[in-house]
Amino acid sequence: MSIDRFARIIALRFRSLFRRDQVEQELDEELQDHVDRQTAENIRLGMSPVAARAAALRAIGNVAYRKEEVRDTRGVRWIDDLLSDMRFAARSLGRARGFSIAVVLTLALGIGANTAMFTLLRGTVLRPLPNRDGDRLVYLRQAARAVGTKNALFSVPEVNDFKAAASLSAVAEYSSVLPFSLVGKDGQTVRVRTAVISGNYFDVLGLRPVLGRLTTIKDDGADAASVAVLSYEYWMEHFGGDPHVVGTAVRLNDRLTPIIGVLEPAPKYPHADDLYVNTVTSPHHLSATMVTERTHRMSELFARLAPSVTVDQARTELTKVAQNMFQDHPEVYAKAAQWDVTVSPLRDAMNERSSLMFWLLMGAAAFVLIIACANVANLTLMRGVSREREMLVRAALGAGRGRLRRLLLAENLTLTLIGAAIGLIVALAGLKLLVAFAAQFSPRAEEIRLDGVVLGVSLLTSIAAAIALSFVPRIGGHRALAESLAPTAGGRRMTLGRGRQRFQQSLVVAQIAVCMILLTGAGLLGRTLVNLLSVETGVRTDHVLTVDLPLTGDLLKEFRKQPENLARYERIRDRVTALPGVQAAAVGAAAPLRNTVFDMDVKPENRPIEPGKVTPHLSVRSVDPAYFTTAGIPLVNGRPFATTDRIGSEKVVILNRAAARKLFGNDNPIGQRVAFTGAVLKFTPFSDAWRTVVGLVGDTRDDGVDSDPVATMYQPFAQEIIVGGTLVVRTTADPAVIQPMVIRAIHDVAPTQLIEKVRTMEQIRDETVSPRRLNAMFIAAFGGLAFAIAMVGIAAVLAFSVSARTAEIGIRMSLGADAQRVRRMILGEGGVLLVVGVVIGVVGALVTSRALRGLLFGITPHDPTTIGAVALVLAAVGVSACWLPAARAARVDPAVALRAE
Amino acid sequence: MSKPNDLVQGTLDLLILKMLALEPMNGWSIGQRLKQLSSDVLQVSDGSLYPALHKLEQEGWVTAEWRPSENNRRAKFYSLTRAGKKQLQIESGNWDRLARAITALVRLQEV
Repeated sequence: MSIDRFARIIALRFRSLFRRDQVEQELDEELQDHVDRQTAENIRLGMSPVAARAAALRAIGNVAYRKEEVRDTRGVRWIDDLLSDMRFAARSLGRARGFSIAVVLTLALGIGANTAMFTLLRGTVLRPLPNRDGDRLVYLRQAARAVGTKNALFSVPEVNDFKAAASLSAVAEYSSVLPFSLVGKDGQTVRVRTAVISGNYFDVLGLRPVLGRLTTIKDDGADAASVAVLSYEYWMEHFGGDPHVVGTAVRLNDRLTPIIGVLEPAPKYPHADDLYVNTVTSPHHLSATMVTERTHRMSELFARLAPSVTVDQARTELTKVAQNMFQDHPEVYAKAAQWDVTVSPLRDAMNERSSLMFWLLMGAAAFVLIIACANVANLTLMRGVSREREMLVRAALGAGRGRLRRLLLAENLTLTLIGAAIGLIVALAGLKLLVAFAAQFSPRAEEIRLDGVVLGVSLLTSIAAAIALSFVPRIGGHRALAESLAPTAGGRRMTLGRGRQRFQQSLVVAQIAVCMILLTGAGLLGRTLVNLLSVETGVRTDHVLTVDLPLTGDLLKEFRKQPENLARYERIRDRVTALPGVQAAAVGAAAPLRNTVFDMDVKPENRPIEPGKVTPHLSVRSVDPAYFTTAGIPLVNGRPFATTDRIGSEKVVILNRAAARKLFGNDNPIGQRVAFTGAVLKFTPFSDAWRTVVGLVGDTRDDGVDSDPVATMYQPFAQEIIVGGTLVVRTTADPAVIQPMVIRAIHDVAPTQLIEKVRTMEQIRDETVSPRRLNAMFIAAFGGLAFAIAMVGIAAVLAFSVSARTAEIGIRMSLGADAQRVRRMILGEGGVLLVVGVVIGVVGALVTSRALRGLLFGITPHDPTTIGAVALVLAAVGVSACWLPAARAARVDPAVALRAE
Repeated sequence: MSKPNDLVQGTLDLLILKMLALEPMNGWSIGQRLKQLSSDVLQVSDGSLYPALHKLEQEGWVTAEWRPSENNRRAKFYSLTRAGKKQLQIESGNWDRLARAITALVRLQEV
């Protein structure tokens, strides 16, 4: 078809649709013109004016019919018809108000839940990264499985090994390990989350500046000038989005660093950084060992795939590179430690924690929609029965079956579209909540929005639902109108045909089965929460307040100021201890139940490591004498630290049970000696001197309550290098009441001391639990929703069956059935559906709950108690839902029922 | 229904296209001209002319434009589009073949 003809046709179609009045008027005018001309012609041929006009009109024939014929040629008829059908549908639905409201609300819930979850899934997991060619980005991770190091990072020599790989076109380094502090305009020191990056980082990741420039390879090396790039969020929050920020400087770790640009908003992985600086800004990253030592690992690696290389190909090559590396340096990569390097698309790495969860939620929402649709189908089916005669009359008056189906489609479209609109409003209202929820799992939460694709999917979902629903009721044809109208047929037919009845029952069974699956999921997640809450943390979490008091400035310099830092921490502690309402106060490197992020290889004296075994790897934590009693960590054996354990006195340590087991098996560790070891030791300020174990304490779950206790070695706070401190306060009063006094006391003692993360131990404990709680709540909400819908469904179906069988029940009762018998009959009818549904649901739950495995704690996905309890609850509530219609059946008065016939 | 049973199916389109190839004109004139040119043999009912015309317009073969006419009013004048000219060639080709075939058949000598 030629373009101009196509354009002409499109233009005409549009004109027919949107300029209807004008088109119609032109048609009238054209026909009028014809009649006038023909009349004139007829007069010229000798007719009288009246006869001439009549003849002209006669020649055209039925004008209305001709006009219809002309309208048919316009090709937009179906749209007109659909619109008029929908107008008609709206009127007829307006009359069936109860039905319409039930359907619209059910669909709104179903579609709303799906829209929300799809928005979540699309924003984080499905949508391509905003980075240029984001799907070509991969993230490398090195781990030592047997040691329990899940992310060992990469050292400079290792990075160089991977840079040589042909499957990668570029490799960028990123290091967000060292803390940086920044002196603000008000003179206050704050810590900023800072990433030290290679110059090509932004180019490799495909990110652009919103202001100024980003770093390039010219910013690499020791001779470059220090530069800093602000993250978009930090720029907005701390500089108010000031467009003149480029060219100013920030005082970073006492070094004036110029700001060269502001990064566009982008998902932040693996850490949310405020600032990006080049290597020269962090002297540590340029130090000799950092550049040459294979074990000095501080960088994450991001890479861009070479053109036309697939992730699998890259993975194959990089695994080979890693294997060669491990073989070439056996002294670095102990076989027993099980080193490996994994390569994953950056998008997958970002969604590592969220993917499973969001897909599960999407699945749960889809289940809710299925149940909702089943319910609506049921309602439609029931309404279809009472409308059967209406349909037959329409058919008898000439409506084709296609036309009737279309009418139903229009009705259902009206319903589902209204439902979708309400659902969308609900989803939109919950968007903020959704983003907050997603932020706990995905760095991409900020990208969540309702976009065209989401809207399109909701629209398609509602159209698909409408089409499916339109094929549920029967449309005329099978039964003649006469038969339906004949008085001998028993008046109005109220029951469904056998096939449709089966169908209706299957819908109820499906609803119950899906409900069973959802509720089992909710049950498992709920019990996971209960398990987490009852986990023995090893700490007495009540009435404990913790306050982080980090060091600021260049840490390497701060290490040398140990005496004055120690004195300050001790003064703060003593002042807080003296506060009223405070029972005890202690200071340590980190709060209990929080990881120290500091771990080392530790060897026992006179006990050579067995070949094939790895050196015990312990978390190391400096604490003062009062730390254990303040936190409620029980002393199992030996003595706690004493105030005399200071620099210069004998070096002592305390082990927790897990650490003692690793080092000494079941032997008594007290009096034994241990020492730091391993290649990393030489990069740290710690000595490899022997230390004597003086005490044994209980285990604590510092990696989160869902993880195993962390094997920990405690050192005296006063005896070791100080890298920062945390105040732990046990109160007699409510910690929230004491908190302001504690803060004031700290400021009294040390006005410039930075205060961060003021939390009660209960809050810290809850940090592991709360994301799971949200997740469980979502699934439970979906389960509850599905439950309610399904229960209404089964009750409605039974009620319908009862009202259709009133006559039958009347006959039964007049033949001697008593109320109880009738009630049993109806209950039995519902009971069969319930049992079948529950049985299918149990099988479904056994199959699907396996997907939950990664989210469970202390419970198997096939936990019989949970499945049994859910089945029981479902059955019990199901029977009560059936009770209402059954009771109504039992109340049928046979005399009334039979007279009505 | 008053389909023109005096016309071979589908030839009305061809006739209209041909008329408009001569010169743009309005609906009434097309009917008149057909009658005149075929010496009253081809009678197109006035009723069926307009659906056919509108169909050709919607198909993009002809285009319409309102012009002032002699009786001081405006009339809708139809003319061929470029696509319409091509269509006319195709259809008259088809017609020629059909007519030749039918003529040949009809003239077969009965034995």
